[in-house]
Amino acid sequence: MIPSDPSKVTAICFDRIHLPGQATLEVARKNGAYSYLPTVLNEMNREQIIEQVKISGLRGRGGAGFPTGLKWSFVPRNTGKPTYLLCNADEGEPGTFKDRDIMRFDPHLLIEGMIMAGFALGVHDAYIYIRGEFLHEANVMNAAIKEAYAANLLGEHILGTDFSMHLTVHRGAGAYVCGEETALIESLEGRPGRPRFKPPFPAVEGFYRCPTVVNNVETLATIPAILEHGGQWHKQIGVPNSAGMKIFSVSGHVNKPGNYEVPMGMPLRVLVEEYCGGLQHGDVPKAVIPGGSSTPWLGPEHYDVPLAYDEIHKAGSMLGSGAVIIMDETADVVALTRRLSHFYAHESCGQCTPCREGTGWLERVMLRLEAGGCNARDIEVLQDASEHMAGRTICALADGAAAPILSLLRMFPDEVNSYLAENKA
Amino acid sequence: MTTLYIDDKEVTVPANTSILEACRMHGVDVPYFCYHPELKVAANCRMCLVEVEGWPKPAASCCTPVAEDMRVRTQTETLKKDRKMVMEYLLIHHPLDCPVCDQGGDCKLQDYSVEHGASQGRYVEPKRRTEDKNLGPFITTCMTRCIHCTRCVRFAEEVAGTGDMGVLNRGDHMRIDSIVEDTLRSELAGNLAELCPVGALLDKPSNDVSRPWELERHHSTCIQCPHGCDVIIESRGDEVIRIKHDPEGAEAWICDRGRYVYDAFRSDDRLLVPAVRKQGELLACDWNEALTRARELLKDKKVGIIFSPSWSLEGLTSIRLLHDAVMNEAKVAFDLHRRDMRPFAFEEGLSMSTAEIEAADEVVILGSDLRQRLPILMQRLRRRVANGKALTRIGAMNYRTNTSPGKDALIRPRDWPAVIARAMEQLKDVGKGSPAMEAWLERVPARHEAGKLLADALMAERCAVLVGEEIRAHEDAAALIHGIDLLMRSAGHGEAGDDGRNLIPEGMNAQVLSAVFGDIRTGVGELLQAAEAGELDALMLVGSDPLGDGLFSMQARRVLRQVPLVQVGAIGGQIAEFADVQLPAAAYSEIEGTFVNMEGRVRIADKPLRSIGEERPLWKVMMRLTQELGADDVPAVSLDELRQKAAVFMPELADVFAGKKGAEWRMPTARNRNARCLPSGVEPAMALDIVSRFSMYREGAWARASGLLREAGQLFALPDVLVHPHTLRQLGLEEGECVIRTASGEITHHVGTREDVAEGVLFVAKRGGAGDLSTETSASLRGV
Ligand SMILES: Cc1cc2nc3c(=O)[nH]c(=O)nc-3n(C[C@H](O)[C@H](O)[C@H](O)COP(=O)(O)O)c2cc1C
Ligand code: SF4
Ligand code: SF4
Ligand code: FES
Repeated sequence: MIPSDPSKVTAICFDRIHLPGQATLEVARKNGAYSYLPTVLNEMNREQIIEQVKISGLRGRGGAGFPTGLKWSFVPRNTGKPTYLLCNADEGEPGTFKDRDIMRFDPHLLIEGMIMAGFALGVHDAYIYIRGEFLHEANVMNAAIKEAYAANLLGEHILGTDFSMHLTVHRGAGAYVCGEETALIESLEGRPGRPRFKPPFPAVEGFYRCPTVVNNVETLATIPAILEHGGQWHKQIGVPNSAGMKIFSVSGHVNKPGNYEVPMGMPLRVLVEEYCGGLQHGDVPKAVIPGGSSTPWLGPEHYDVPLAYDEIHKAGSMLGSGAVIIMDETADVVALTRRLSHFYAHESCGQCTPCREGTGWLERVMLRLEAGGCNARDIEVLQDASEHMAGRTICALADGAAAPILSLLRMFPDEVNSYLAENKA
Repeated sequence: MTTLYIDDKEVTVPANTSILEACRMHGVDVPYFCYHPELKVAANCRMCLVEVEGWPKPAASCCTPVAEDMRVRTQTETLKKDRKMVMEYLLIHHPLDCPVCDQGGDCKLQDYSVEHGASQGRYVEPKRRTEDKNLGPFITTCMTRCIHCTRCVRFAEEVAGTGDMGVLNRGDHMRIDSIVEDTLRSELAGNLAELCPVGALLDKPSNDVSRPWELERHHSTCIQCPHGCDVIIESRGDEVIRIKHDPEGAEAWICDRGRYVYDAFRSDDRLLVPAVRKQGELLACDWNEALTRARELLKDKKVGIIFSPSWSLEGLTSIRLLHDAVMNEAKVAFDLHRRDMRPFAFEEGLSMSTAEIEAADEVVILGSDLRQRLPILMQRLRRRVANGKALTRIGAMNYRTNTSPGKDALIRPRDWPAVIARAMEQLKDVGKGSPAMEAWLERVPARHEAGKLLADALMAERCAVLVGEEIRAHEDAAALIHGIDLLMRSAGHGEAGDDGRNLIPEGMNAQVLSAVFGDIRTGVGELLQAAEAGELDALMLVGSDPLGDGLFSMQARRVLRQVPLVQVGAIGGQIAEFADVQLPAAAYSEIEGTFVNMEGRVRIADKPLRSIGEERPLWKVMMRLTQELGADDVPAVSLDELRQKAAVFMPELADVFAGKKGAEWRMPTARNRNARCLPSGVEPAMALDIVSRFSMYREGAWARASGLLREAGQLFALPDVLVHPHTLRQLGLEEGECVIRTASGEITHHVGTREDVAEGVLFVAKRGGAGDLSTETSASLRGV
């Protein structure tokens, strides 16, 4: 049970994932799932829910950190068109593996969050767009949805109220870019996943050009606790402007990689040393990617940075999806960057000139760099070609592609130099 | 309206305009590749970046709407670097083959490279390999040059409606492809070459023929359909190299017929020297000899003149002047598709502009294959449907339009009275009947449900009725058009300048023809009948080819065999075989002249190409002939004089020539308020109605003289005779050889089937063995 004293909260999304059988409706209900749902459906109205979510300070856990309540309030009413709720379960950002655990261990938490969000937004049809590789998770979700339908938690007249909502799982086909919300919408509509330019924003013209809210799994899974305990309660967890708990997927050179749900604002060093069993080698990391491979790297000087939106931003990066990748002194940063540049070249959807041509170009130069075939002029190319991708394209994939290379060149010029042909020879 | 600042200059534009469009409206130059004013925004090239004060990142101006007090900068150091870098990205895989690329000299990539690019690229990795595509007879591809702007894909989807181009793969493997490994099937394909900002899609027929800087450009009017598009004829010296759409013209596209007809300008079918027939052979001669021979054949003789409507207004007027001066008794005809010569309540021509039609509340197409007839209007209607607006169609064939009219009914031509009667009943039911309607209805016992669609559409405030060839060529056309006029009046569409009455004409200058020839015209059928009966001594064909076009080929063939022929024209074609004298007249590219399109828009061509042979503008030929035939005074000796004479028939023209009417002024169509024709009640003699098909690639002497259009015609051909499968089954027949019986005899021909022909209709192509079937209106079928 989540304590109603905010200072005692140790988990929100992960509160019950360890309980045996939690994926089944029977156990989940015994452990409190859906217990507050009738109150929400019968005693709250749409405005009140959105208000509570606004007060809670919840920010999107998918990467951009956009305030969830605010996003919901942008959805126009009475357009004569349906409003859709799409759960972004594409979880493609390298380093991120948190949504998967919510879905496979506590699917009903996500369903409950979606019912509440759907109710708040006047949704009749909701979808979970799940990463194609998550076959097991899709099966678990589907089984849970089936149970929920049987228990009248989904479908027509949920729990005897006027509210009806249908929920469908759609499996992606393995494209990272389909995690970008407008590409996700295109893909769900049956087209190639190519991001749309904005405006119009999905809240106004999204799925089938109707008002649409796209939220991350973790974002939606936080909603039941917020409504049960109140927005104010949630706001008191974490630090100002970064409220609540956050799951960090920690990987790389730590002794105990894994998912850790901790209050926002916890210093990075505490997360690594107290939760993850410390670094494998050395006292401080050589570099840290704080929010998934698309976010700029931080250096050892930021080992104490609080894991919160503003603080990480001040340090020069982003909290992103909360995927913390730790590199200790043994890391070959050039090889790592080359590998990431392959990822982005492979995943670029190809529409925007800088991203289409830039990602391929960068990968080829990185390959040559690693193989010892580059000279100083090539480093200039790496710098220019990355700099002019970021912030100049339809979606942020190009920014993500630029981030590792710009970080590498900024933080490790000497190491890069050592790879140059003249120095190798 | 929104006020913003572009490079510190205050500008006001409509709300929601994009920054790029705001810049374009105010003459601020922002480079772009993927943006195209006629296509949806794609925002993928990223060349159009600008800076907005207070925004952390540059914005793509093509997809960013303006906002009040926004401060936009289009020229900054950062943007300079961004543009340079976009150019570098685009060029990393682009071949450096400008010297052998037809786009060279007229290429956005080349131009921007000079303006915004670096002098040298830094890319040293392997270049991308690509495969070229088969995009049909008109477009050649060189896909290594593609910059992935997706203009072509959007064009195929949004304009052509075929959607058969797309994007495959991702990242830098992304490629433009024709989704089906087949040709692009569009009547608008030629636009792709103009649309592609680089040399990836090029005009196939003119490829490797010339360089842009060698070409002279001549504004002209296309006469290949009544739409009369503004075109640019590109020539090297006197040779027509290609035809392009006029960027300053009224429409964004031209069709393949109007474009690839350029092949005819240099074909062997051109009449370039006068000729006379001696001992059965046509021999070139000088003008004097030819005119002398013409005089022998025409002077003081009973003559029939059939001319083509597509000459310039001046040329047409000169035919009338010739008639009035020296051939007062001659029978004059021009419409090869009109059987019913009684006056129509509303004569040929549109009362609305195509833009007004696109915007109307309802549009009804009555019996027309618009995609073949008026591809550019069809394109507008396609866009109309894409924007969710209604389109209704009633006719003998579900003509493939690459869009789906929401309401569609297949009928036989003999059903038209019942369709109109059904619509009249519906109006009566809501109290909108009239005594005139009653009189009309009395003659028609049957009702056809398709009439409901017509009546429904007429209830809209603004309804554009497009009356097509199935009605215009009907034996009872005047009664049908009177019926439609009655319907429109009752439904509240009283007569006005743009009252929705649109009778699609056969060719150009419909309003001119009504004004200049209204009082003397006869029907082509009547003229040929008189000739056959021995009432005419000679025939003069002025650009007209009744063998290849129209509904009278059988009679025309008989007449040509028996009556001497003076051929005047720019194309010899199959008529040449019968000509006793040929007088070459200049092509439309070679004259100064005035053209009026179906909307009544007037265009004056004033920068012609020079003639390549001895041909002369038609008006000069006619005036010479007038002189030769004994006129004391030649009615006009200059273009100015001729225009004054034309203004006698059409007083508004005086203002047009004086430059007092704007480019938007439209000549009204003729109306015959007193034409009260009631349905004849005569049933066709045989069970099946014949409807003749119009192919944009084959119709008209010009098109037939173009090898390019002939090739496309073959590629896109349907079987020559088509019926609905049910029609065959009911007769116990199968697809294959059948005997087709009409009033003029029997032929054995292959009969194909197609679901989208109305049951009870025999759909025939105007060519080959089936061609003469167009002469008849009904037929029956039996097995061989
Ligand atoms: C290239 C790219 C990939 C993304 N992938 C994901 C993803 O896998 N899962 C996700 O939740 N958000 C992803 N996002 C962020 C989404 O676009 C969107 O911001 C998010 O789903 C909104 O949900 P939230 O407000 O709940 O965070 C991605 C963004 C980009 C640019
Ligand atoms: S930035 Fe890259 S992935 Fe995103 S839309 Fe453009 S090309 Fe596609
Ligand atoms: S072929 Fe031409 S129009 Fe089509 S995407 Fe490539 S560059 Fe653009
Ligand atoms: S013109 Fe704006 S991105 Fe291409």
